[in-house]
Amino acid sequence: MKSLLASLALTTALTLPGLALARPVTLTTTLNTYGGDGAYLALYVTDASGAYVGSLWMAGGKSKYYEHLSDWHRATGGDTAQVNGITGASVGSGRTLEITLDLADALFDAGYTIHIDAAVEDMRDSPNEVAVPLTTDGAGTPVSGRRYIASFGYDM
Amino acid sequence: MKKTLTLLAASTALTAAIGVPAWSAMQAPADGVVRPVAALFEDAAQAMPLVLASDDDDDDDRWREGSRRGHDDDDDDDEDDCDDDDDDDCRGSARNPAPAGTVAPPRNGLFGNGAPPQAQVN
Repeated sequence: MKSLLASLALTTALTLPGLALARPVTLTTTLNTYGGDGAYLALYVTDASGAYVGSLWMAGGKSKYYEHLSDWHRATGGDTAQVNGITGASVGSGRTLEITLDLADALFDAGYTIHIDAAVEDMRDSPNEVAVPLTTDGAGTPVSGRRYIASFGYDM
Repeated sequence: MKKTLTLLAASTALTAAIGVPAWSAMQAPADGVVRPVAALFEDAAQAMPLVLASDDDDDDDRWREGSRRGHDDDDDDDEDDCDDDDDDDCRGSARNPAPAGTVAPPRNGLFGNGAPPQAQVN
């Protein structure tokens, strides 16, 4: 009996930190009705010094157009390995992209910022269209983009 | 009189026999094949050349000139073959990233160990 309790305590102790290290977050991006083709969007994170940390999502599967997501491209050198497994279709005018992911707890309230670069075929590129600090207080508060993004927000 | 008519008919026939092939040779069709009576039948075709009204421009490379920092002017047909639609069916290409759900997300420290990121467009 004692050994069973000890095992249970041990497994719980091992499991809880894992659960606490990340939290499910939904990133919601709604585009304006700009009337063009589907928008390419790069969602990525920078740290407190502005250095690129990693990518969260890439909307648009053709890497030949990634150079138009110029800030992301500059930070990554266009390295498609940065978005392997987190790439989906481009997002049409007026549509809403909803991404659900487990985001590391350490990113919140630690100076990290989510950025979105946007580009649309035959229209102007829009690097750093959105830049939102990752804070627990900022959850559920949508912000507007500069050109293509009507609103962006994250919910926990 | 009969003799005159005969001479006229003969000279006309001779002119036609020599003149039509010569005229055809001067208007040799584009395919290079010389046909003896081509001029009689293909004259109209030259007057009204066939015009194909098509919008078959490769529009995939129409990224805005003013905003681009490197316009995609490439004539790489292999690449364009992959670009004729938006359904991203060039997944095997080494240049394009692996779509979500086909491989694990990058280990960039942003993601927890739970379910991989999922996206939907509404």
